[in-house]
Amino acid sequence: MSSNKYFKHEGPWSDANDPLMCSDTGDWRTKRPIVDKDKCIFCGFCAIYCPIQVMEMIEESYFSPDLGFCKGCGICAKECPKNAISMMPEGDFKK
Amino acid sequence: MTQKKKDNLTKVMDYLKHEDPFSKGVAFCPGCGLELLIRFIPQVLGNDIVITGTPSCSAPVLLGQNNQTWHKLSYFGTLMTGAAANATGLARYYRKAGIENTVVCFNGDGTAADIGFGNLSGAAERNEPFIYICYDNEGYMNTGIQKSGTTPFGATTTTTPLGSASKGKNLRRMNLALKMAMHKIPYAATATLSDLDDLAKKLLKAKEAKKRGFAFLHVFAPCTTGWGFAPENTIEVCRRAVKTNYFPLWEAVNGKIRMTKTVKKPKPVTTYTELIKKFAHLSEEDLQILQDDVDYEYCMLGGLSVLEGECQLPVSSED
Ligand code: SF4
Ligand code: SF4
Repeated sequence: MSSNKYFKHEGPWSDANDPLMCSDTGDWRTKRPIVDKDKCIFCGFCAIYCPIQVMEMIEESYFSPDLGFCKGCGICAKECPKNAISMMPEGDFKK
Repeated sequence: MTQKKKDNLTKVMDYLKHEDPFSKGVAFCPGCGLELLIRFIPQVLGNDIVITGTPSCSAPVLLGQNNQTWHKLSYFGTLMTGAAANATGLARYYRKAGIENTVVCFNGDGTAADIGFGNLSGAAERNEPFIYICYDNEGYMNTGIQKSGTTPFGATTTTTPLGSASKGKNLRRMNLALKMAMHKIPYAATATLSDLDDLAKKLLKAKEAKKRGFAFLHVFAPCTTGWGFAPENTIEVCRRAVKTNYFPLWEAVNGKIRMTKTVKKPKPVTTYTELIKKFAHLSEEDLQILQDDVDYEYCMLGGLSVLEGECQLPVSSED
């Protein structure tokens, strides 16, 4: 027996159709990961190790972070075997 | 630019068969090991698992706030003293109602090793059909970094501070996973975040094993805030914990222990401790105590893993 249908609606407090809570964690960032597309070999290590899983596959050719939520921890840059990701100070990008 | 090949993609991707049920912006610290773990589990096991857990760093996200949630999973919040007992009730209810699903009791080391150990042990002994996952960040991080049973020797916490009367925890850590394996449950294993394929395999094995009864996973999940290391080092800390045998990876089926990763030339434990501030004050003697403890635990594990083949049960001479 499949189970999922039993848990969709426990009550109004856990209605899975309601929008989920979501903070702008991108605001926390002090450093921004910048991916060098040419260096990226599409191994996906940055994506699997990113704690918030915001490394998105772009055109099956490279990965790029969702800056709305990337907290700037730097794990992706540290784990990339090709050093294709550099962490740049966030201040450099503010106008 | 060279042609990018899909076969460059890490095999770990193949295990991520389901969507991430969490919203993107949740309130875990940057570089949090727990966050990676909690997002990883439902991507491997499916979004129809039922999670139950206790007050902890995971609870504010798993529980939701006011009348909204951060994720689409079913979650049942319980108390630390009765986490496994509550999971027992859930698992039994679903079995009775004929609903097939996976109950995952998800707790920190505070609940698993200390406050809720009694009923964890009880549930294991009764062989209740659910998966118990302990994410081990070696302390009570959510309440302000107090020491727990799995806090290692020498580590500073707010209850084992560095000062004139204290140099960090003065006792060695307990080995929770081994204790659980000694319950001879269908499945017990250790895992960590640097070896995600190993973790995924163990999650799937635990899901299989829970058809036969209790499954226990001990996942080493470093805490950047509580331990004092740079957030980008979370995975590196896990990796070095494995490479120094500080946290060996093994599994036990019905109590039969097997190493899932053997380190050919283990590094000294200092290659692990040097990354982490909670060990920064340790003298050479202290580090030796820590090293001896790591060697001791590994030796014990190694011994247990070969025992099965070599050990002959004593035969009674009467018959
Ligand atoms: S880890 Fe580096 S090389 Fe691998 S996919 Fe990510 S950016 Fe590309
Ligand atoms: S910096 Fe951290 S949060 Fe941002 S994409 Fe990299 S791993 Fe993910």
